[in-house]
Amino acid sequence: MAQPWLKRVMGRELKRVLLEALIVAVIGLAFSLLANLASPRGLSITRNYFPGSKTAHGEIHGSGNSTVNPAASSTYGADPSAGEIVATHLKEKGLQPVDGREVWQLFQDPQYQMELIVFIDARDDRHYSEGHIPGAYQFDRYYPEKHLRTALPACLNAKQIVVYCTGGNCEDSEFAALTLKEAGVPQERLSVYVGGITEWAANGWPVEVGERKSGKMRGAKP
Amino acid sequence: MKNRAAFISTLLSHELVAVVARWILGSVFVYMGLIKAVHPVDFLKILREYNVVESYIVLNFIAAALPWFEVLCGLLLLGGIAVRGSALLLIGMLVPFTIAVLSHALAVQATKMIPFCAIRFDCGCGAGEVIVCHKLVENASLILLSLLLLIGRGNRWCFQYDFVKSA
Repeated sequence: MAQPWLKRVMGRELKRVLLEALIVAVIGLAFSLLANLASPRGLSITRNYFPGSKTAHGEIHGSGNSTVNPAASSTYGADPSAGEIVATHLKEKGLQPVDGREVWQLFQDPQYQMELIVFIDARDDRHYSEGHIPGAYQFDRYYPEKHLRTALPACLNAKQIVVYCTGGNCEDSEFAALTLKEAGVPQERLSVYVGGITEWAANGWPVEVGERKSGKMRGAKP
Repeated sequence: MKNRAAFISTLLSHELVAVVARWILGSVFVYMGLIKAVHPVDFLKILREYNVVESYIVLNFIAAALPWFEVLCGLLLLGGIAVRGSALLLIGMLVPFTIAVLSHALAVQATKMIPFCAIRFDCGCGAGEVIVCHKLVENASLILLSLLLLIGRGNRWCFQYDFVKSA
């Protein structure tokens, strides 16, 4: 049985700790928001980064990154049913899914050199410079102001646009396509390469590293 | 048995233990917070996968603010400023996050029919893909260290142990 004086002391201590936590929380909140604002990679609080979608696609919602063996789910080649799920999902959103063979044909089409067919890489700077489909424009949809100036005119002039990201559970290509649609690109010209760069590279097709049109290639089969 | 309990009690009340706990917690939170703060988009995507938050504004707010908040709490602990208040906030972040990881892992287990400790995923902690059992043990340890700071009196080498002075 605690003595009344002990209860009083403990009550005072608890109040002090709670007040201290409140002060730290308020300072922390202000610091966090300012740091986010100052950071070049900061997020916009008011922008909906996942328009028209409440959950991530996957076998169970929210398990997109879960795996027993991380290598197993990295491409649709390893899990064809996942590819079909995503293709159906894309069609529901009015986007046209395309497979590796079609993308390869588009890549070899002379219209690709004339930029009537355009590839859009929806990944971030690091992944893009590590390797992208030769000639693909980068459009990291999380920072559209950085990429729209170059990618949008190319898309508006093109007859067909193929958007891709990593493949697997990556949804960035889908959302990038929707963002381009909102920016004025006709929806019927937009298609999404479901297998993404992972499948492209796995097929031994050429990968350009560094900047667009850098000319530095890797991974091309003779 | 009595001696052992007394030994543990003495050890926990030792100031050096609290200092080490403070530095470990502070370093972990600064490191993990910075990794997420540098790649907020990755953190945002992982947060979304938990399907805990419906509103995109709340989701963005958590992804934008939480990493920096962790960094600040970590720095406060390293410097020994407002130690108990910071420890309480860390518990407030760690407990719901651990519950979210656990429920996510249970959902994966129910779907994929695999042993619990074979499940691995990127939990959004900043360390990339982790084995869920390891993560839960790690989080439990961090919670215990935070509790130790919350109830302890380890105010050695602190700039300002208490923000709010006693009357």
